[in-house]
Amino acid sequence: MRPPSLRTPALALGGLLGLAALAAPARAETALIETPSLAAAVAAHELPPVAERVPSHPLVIKFADGAEPGEPGGDLHALIGAARDTRLMVMWGYARLIGYQRDLSLKPDIAEAIDVVDNRVFTIHLRPGHRWSDGVPFTAEDFRYFWEDIANNKELSPTGLPSALVIRGHEPRFELLDPLTVRYSWDVPNPVFLSELAATSPLFIFAPAHYLKQFHAKYADPAVLKQHVADASVRGWAALHNRLDAPYRNDNPDLPTLDPWMLQTRPPAEQFVFVRNPYYHRIDPQGHQLPYIDRFLLQSVDPKIVPVKTGAGESDLQARYLNFDNYTFLKQAAVRNNYQVRLWVTGRGANFALFPNLTVADPVWRQVIRDVRFRRALSLATNRHEINVVVFYGLATEGNNTALRDSPLYDAKDQHAWAEYDPAKANQLLDEMGLTERDGADYRLLPDGRPLTIIIESPGDNADQTDILQLVRDSWREVGIKLLIKTTQREVFRNRVFSGQSVMSIFFGAENGLPTPMSSPAEWAPTDQNQLQWSQWGNYYDSGGKAGEPIDMPMAHELLTLYNRWTASSSMEERKAIWKEMLAINADQVFTIGLASAVPQPVVVRDTLHNVPDKAIFNFDPGAFFGVYRPDQFWFATKAGDE
Amino acid sequence: MIDYLIRRLLVMIPTLLAISLITFAIIQLPPGDYLSTYIAELQSQGEAVDAQKIEFLREQFGLNMPFYMKYLTWLWGMFHGDFGYSFEYNLPVSQVVGDRLALSMILSFTTVLFTWVVAFPIGVYSATHRYTAADHTLTLLGFLGLATPNFLLALVLLYFTNVFFGTSVGGMMDARYIGQPWSLAKLGSVFEHLLVPVIVIGTSGTAGMIRRLRANLLDELNKLYVVTARAKGMPPLRALIKYPLRMALNPFIADIGNLLPQIVSGAAIVSVVLSLPTTGPMLLSALQSQDMYLAGSFLMFLASLTVVGVLLSDIALALLDPRIRLHGGVTR
Repeated sequence: MRPPSLRTPALALGGLLGLAALAAPARAETALIETPSLAAAVAAHELPPVAERVPSHPLVIKFADGAEPGEPGGDLHALIGAARDTRLMVMWGYARLIGYQRDLSLKPDIAEAIDVVDNRVFTIHLRPGHRWSDGVPFTAEDFRYFWEDIANNKELSPTGLPSALVIRGHEPRFELLDPLTVRYSWDVPNPVFLSELAATSPLFIFAPAHYLKQFHAKYADPAVLKQHVADASVRGWAALHNRLDAPYRNDNPDLPTLDPWMLQTRPPAEQFVFVRNPYYHRIDPQGHQLPYIDRFLLQSVDPKIVPVKTGAGESDLQARYLNFDNYTFLKQAAVRNNYQVRLWVTGRGANFALFPNLTVADPVWRQVIRDVRFRRALSLATNRHEINVVVFYGLATEGNNTALRDSPLYDAKDQHAWAEYDPAKANQLLDEMGLTERDGADYRLLPDGRPLTIIIESPGDNADQTDILQLVRDSWREVGIKLLIKTTQREVFRNRVFSGQSVMSIFFGAENGLPTPMSSPAEWAPTDQNQLQWSQWGNYYDSGGKAGEPIDMPMAHELLTLYNRWTASSSMEERKAIWKEMLAINADQVFTIGLASAVPQPVVVRDTLHNVPDKAIFNFDPGAFFGVYRPDQFWFATKAGDE
Repeated sequence: MIDYLIRRLLVMIPTLLAISLITFAIIQLPPGDYLSTYIAELQSQGEAVDAQKIEFLREQFGLNMPFYMKYLTWLWGMFHGDFGYSFEYNLPVSQVVGDRLALSMILSFTTVLFTWVVAFPIGVYSATHRYTAADHTLTLLGFLGLATPNFLLALVLLYFTNVFFGTSVGGMMDARYIGQPWSLAKLGSVFEHLLVPVIVIGTSGTAGMIRRLRANLLDELNKLYVVTARAKGMPPLRALIKYPLRMALNPFIADIGNLLPQIVSGAAIVSVVLSLPTTGPMLLSALQSQDMYLAGSFLMFLASLTVVGVLLSDIALALLDPRIRLHGGVTR
């Protein structure tokens, strides 16, 4: 064995990634301090002392600017909307083999180091002495179990390997090098492997073998297993195994975990209690084992009363189910109920965007919508400033559906291309197109004489959407375009877009407004039926040509070509260039009309809760909502919860 | 009587079968299935979903089976006491519902008790003192109770109890008692939280009941036998209770049939507003999220309770009111 201090675990991405070498987490110089809430258990010999619980190479955290070391202890109360929200703790805990930092760079976390060669060969080094939450060592065996007995087991994984492991048809080779080292290698570059491991809903490539083997037909005693299956009233051992092995759904209190908090309550319940994982692998520079907070208590209530309950001071940390329109209500009760309301920024490319349907069935509409001048004119005719002021008190960002300012791929040009309010220019573009005929009410006519009335369909579950559309309608009237709003049930809405019946729709903008060159640009090219601007093309790609229509528009084709190049690329610079080009094309071609982005997200924080950033981005992936700000470092100044 | 009972019980079988088919069909009517609503909800919270995983789940949940297969599987399971699987909770339906039923019953019985205790004396009083100032005042209050939207009243009371008494918003007890063993303090917290829902759900019920009792009683009070009784010098209270009040009670007994299912599904909207851990909101959310086996089993349960309730109230009526006959045929 190599002595740990001699190792230089660098994320050597074949010289492709601009990531700095990852700091080798050395043994903490300072002595470890026993966690007060666990001291009794240690004294009673129910738990080993802290020095034996943390890995021999723990992750010594570095506090971000403004964060400060704290004291362990305290209960955090928060509200969830349904029992299945227990998965939020997997996001908030955010323990991954490799994880995003605040600047969206990747650093090993559970893994001590990951060596990367050419983006093809990934060698994962585990921390010696790292244990599952039940005290059993976490080793390469847990990876082997996943690979051999889960992913490659026909009964447990009937659809084969997880899609993130298969790159253009190539499956990886798995090697177990020693008890703490495993290697995945592909024949072609796998650009998404690391970001999948770091994802908010991550790719789990390990599983607690010692626990799950008792439910696996290969290892378990058939009679005992049969009894387990009967007790759970499921169809077979595979269903039972799949139900129990749910690290993301996080509803099995018996499943060992590596997260900072582990589920203690057996569902169904009204309140879910999560307690600290005594074997967690991160420590602070003072020698405290993280997490600081002892317990998370998540009370399940109807989502509609979450704002009221939060306003009544019943949550110590709440953002989910709070919307921007709750802001004033929350603010009003903030002092009385001892909390602060912070405004974070949502991380979508745009919170709301219009999607002109390029694959609409009506041939006349199709021709009009595919004319870039028409789409640009609509974008120019939209008064985004008015929307921002009226609906978001001027706190949102006006501009296109594209990468946000905090993304390394942000470009002000993309944000503002054809997004200034300029009705004169819009009128001019529409006239150039030959849409000069007008009806009695001064609205323009389509080339075949029908009135040019755009029906924008909305899934109708968000009041903001209709408010915004009313404003868009007023400004489009200036350029002679009539807008009607049609709200439908969401399923109907999607089917109408898919079949090309709807001309235009309103929906959320890009899912990931904070892309890095390593994130997949799939949502900027026609790759998925759910892309409302070109669902037929997306369907064609997705189904391998069995359904939908082939792309018959040069710029869209270009996007797909770029996307394919990105997947095959092994150079960081090239990927970045491709990303930039794709974003520029999308902005210039106005394939979607973004209306407002970076809409504030109210985050309610108890006065005494420290280390929650004042300003931050609230995003699913990357970001894991609170996860990237490391809730295991949050702490209470005085014990909360038991006043 | 025995004949009648057996006949009624046999009729229940095809009735319930028909109900099961209809409810199951209706639950399936809206476009999409549980997974599509699930995806939609995740998206609205900013989460992304893996399409491959969804297809796998659809397969595992058996959502792509044809309708009749789903129906027959469910029906067959029910004969064995297996009500299917709740997708939302990832547990067998029976385990999901069990917990909530007890709290629902506590709430419903307290509400019914509240309604009767308040409505009965008021109804009788306003019938016997028709068109007095007191009658008018009570009538006005009754109408106010009937006219106020329940959910609004619930929200207003919720806000004030929180601001003035510091009662935690919604729920059946304070968060700190959840999952704790029963204690005096916990009981106190439950009563504190029961107050608002009982008043809210009770007011509209009370108002309706007052009006019905008053109307029924008035009908009886004007009948000749009451006049005769009075003329013969029967004490007024006895003249009231002995016959007219009993007659006026018939509709309440007939109502028992509705009461039983209400104990389970009752006041869903108020319970949703107050976030009570009862069965009503669960039924509603199961229907919304198309959690079909949970919703279907719930509705079947309600249907069975209704059918049983109607039978019970028919029997009770027959026992209490000699004018009602069990066997049809020509009267006179």
